[in-house]
Amino acid sequence: MADKADKADKAKILVVEDEEILLTALKEELETGGYQVGGAVDGQDGLDKVKAFKPDLILLDLVMPKMDGMEMLRKLKENNETRDIPVVILTNLSDYERISEVLSLGAMDYLVKANYKLEDLLEKVKTVIARKAGNM
Amino acid sequence: MLEFSIPNEPIFWAAIFSVLVLLVAWFEYRRLYFKLAAREDIMKRRMYELAILRELGERIGYSLNVQKIVEIISSSLGNLLPYSAVLYMLPGESGRLLYHVNLAEPVSKQFITDARTQMLRSLSALFGKTYAEGDVDETITGMVTDPTAQSKVASFFNIPIVINNRPAGIFTVASVEPGLYQSSTEVEILYTIMNQASEAVSKLETVLEIEKGKLNAMVASMADGVLMVDPGSRVIVVNPQTRKLLGISTENPTIFDVLDKLSDRLDLRTKIDESLKRDQLIVEEEVSIADRFVQILITPVKNNKKEPIGSVVLFHDITHEKELEKMREDFTSMMVHELRSPLTGIRSIADLLKSEKIKNEQKKYQEFISLISTNSSSMLDLVNDLLDVAKIESGKFPILKQPHDPREVISQRIRSFETLASESHVEIIENVAADVPKKFMFDSMKIDQVLNNLLSNAIKFTQGEGKITVGAFLCPVGHTIGDAARALNLPWQEFPKSELAAKDELVISVSDSGAGIPKVEIPRLFSKFQQLSTARKTEKKGTGLGLVIVKGVVEAHGGQVRVLSEEGRGTTFFFTLPIEAEQKS
Repeated sequence: MADKADKADKAKILVVEDEEILLTALKEELETGGYQVGGAVDGQDGLDKVKAFKPDLILLDLVMPKMDGMEMLRKLKENNETRDIPVVILTNLSDYERISEVLSLGAMDYLVKANYKLEDLLEKVKTVIARKAGNM
Repeated sequence: MLEFSIPNEPIFWAAIFSVLVLLVAWFEYRRLYFKLAAREDIMKRRMYELAILRELGERIGYSLNVQKIVEIISSSLGNLLPYSAVLYMLPGESGRLLYHVNLAEPVSKQFITDARTQMLRSLSALFGKTYAEGDVDETITGMVTDPTAQSKVASFFNIPIVINNRPAGIFTVASVEPGLYQSSTEVEILYTIMNQASEAVSKLETVLEIEKGKLNAMVASMADGVLMVDPGSRVIVVNPQTRKLLGISTENPTIFDVLDKLSDRLDLRTKIDESLKRDQLIVEEEVSIADRFVQILITPVKNNKKEPIGSVVLFHDITHEKELEKMREDFTSMMVHELRSPLTGIRSIADLLKSEKIKNEQKKYQEFISLISTNSSSMLDLVNDLLDVAKIESGKFPILKQPHDPREVISQRIRSFETLASESHVEIIENVAADVPKKFMFDSMKIDQVLNNLLSNAIKFTQGEGKITVGAFLCPVGHTIGDAARALNLPWQEFPKSELAAKDELVISVSDSGAGIPKVEIPRLFSKFQQLSTARKTEKKGTGLGLVIVKGVVEAHGGQVRVLSEEGRGTTFFFTLPIEAEQKS
């Protein structure tokens, strides 16, 4: 488990979300939770940031301009270097039917945007990162 | 010498004379008697012929069944002609030949076989087609054949059955007695009867053909596919739309062609049987055939005696309805997304603002407050636009027309966009014709909204060192709007061709020097469904409903919106406002 006291040891999370205000909120919440957080505004931006930022976890929105979350997830899974980064999908209830599709593509979990609570978000992030650490 | 002297008495001469007269009278009487008897015979025959014809007419009635008609004739011939057998041969279903023998007396088997061979030969000649003995289905009625008899066909007469100038079969009388059917009277009777029957049927057929033609034309012009089958699953009616929907290329498809096209999606035959059995309409709501969606209705059809005579299958293309439904669903989910994402963000940010930590970070605190403010106002814009669109769609978009100066309205709008324009390095030019009236009836708030939408679009799509021209001019009815625009030196693209003014109109245009809109996109510009999804894919801000509202406002004023665009040469949106009679003076 990451040691929150030391910044270098903080787990890194990349949030990919096109809605600026939501991105800001998520970043702030996760930073408060003790993570190092990066942001991207669409799938293409997300892929670029993954390369530079090397996150331990990606929070990924599905409906985005330019490249949507589905496409970005597919690209992540095609690439050997990024294949093992756990991805948690940020979804709206209206995308609900696509959940099984994203899970089959290799996403680890999902979070419904409209009714997540801060504690849920942090809890989910914690378990996913712990699971990843356990696997390695 | 025997002397024979002629008596000289007058009595003698009188007797001779009387005998002569009697002789002459007797001969004359005989002659007349035979003449009268013959005439009576003919009369009798004629009467009988007529009786048969009348009966034929009645019994044929409205039947078009050739076999039934021929049977009626063969059973009525008895008193007119001597014969051993009346026979007929008709081509039936699936290439078989119907051979029927009605025996008036027992004959040999050979008699029937010989008659058959002769009739087959005549039939082959009549239809110009070779028929074999194996094609014949034989039935015998009346007397039975006599195995001991040696009778042969000694007399024989064939008449072709012709209906509507088309051969329909062969009718024959045959006898074991030689020398019959040679006199013209006998032959004449047969011809008369046959002609009469065929004429009646021909007339009936013609009438039915006309009726059928009317019905076919109606069925052919129907937008839905119509298929009718008889209880034996034979296709009776199939219209072009059915063939188009099912993708059948043959002109006269069989039931198998139809079943084949539906095979993996619907067992139509079972459904037809089921609807007949249950005597009920069966509806298959949604069957996908190739790239179409089709609603299929199957219903039994009965004649006026309530007997089932077949089934009608209707194919109703619901692809368009399905598309609309899909678009509506997409639109709703897109809108929900558009509203929910920022709302979720606002809530999260508001939660963060409550925490003590943020209160100490002044800069972040301010940033969050302004995020909430801009997000809620853009959401409010969207909600307002949605509301306007809803009002426009329900036809309850209120317009309050009052006299305003178009010049003033235009320059005010341009002023309000100056900052945004200069930030985007775009210049806005105003070009209003001198004859534009100072007072014009329109709803200035709504026209402001139209110009706002057109101007913000123009700025959005004109990048770097661009030029936007706002024009206004009058165009009399029947004149080309493009000519009037060019007279004012306004940029006016060629596609699509500028049209004629439908009324005396005030035309207001917003032209940009941007990249232009691809031709395929133009029809989609004013559809709310298309716009929102396109807006999502670009980074441009806005609800995507602007043009839908522009169209609604202009149409509520009685005008029209048009787009002219050429890739690389920019785009012109213009709208017309009709000059009303009271402001012309």
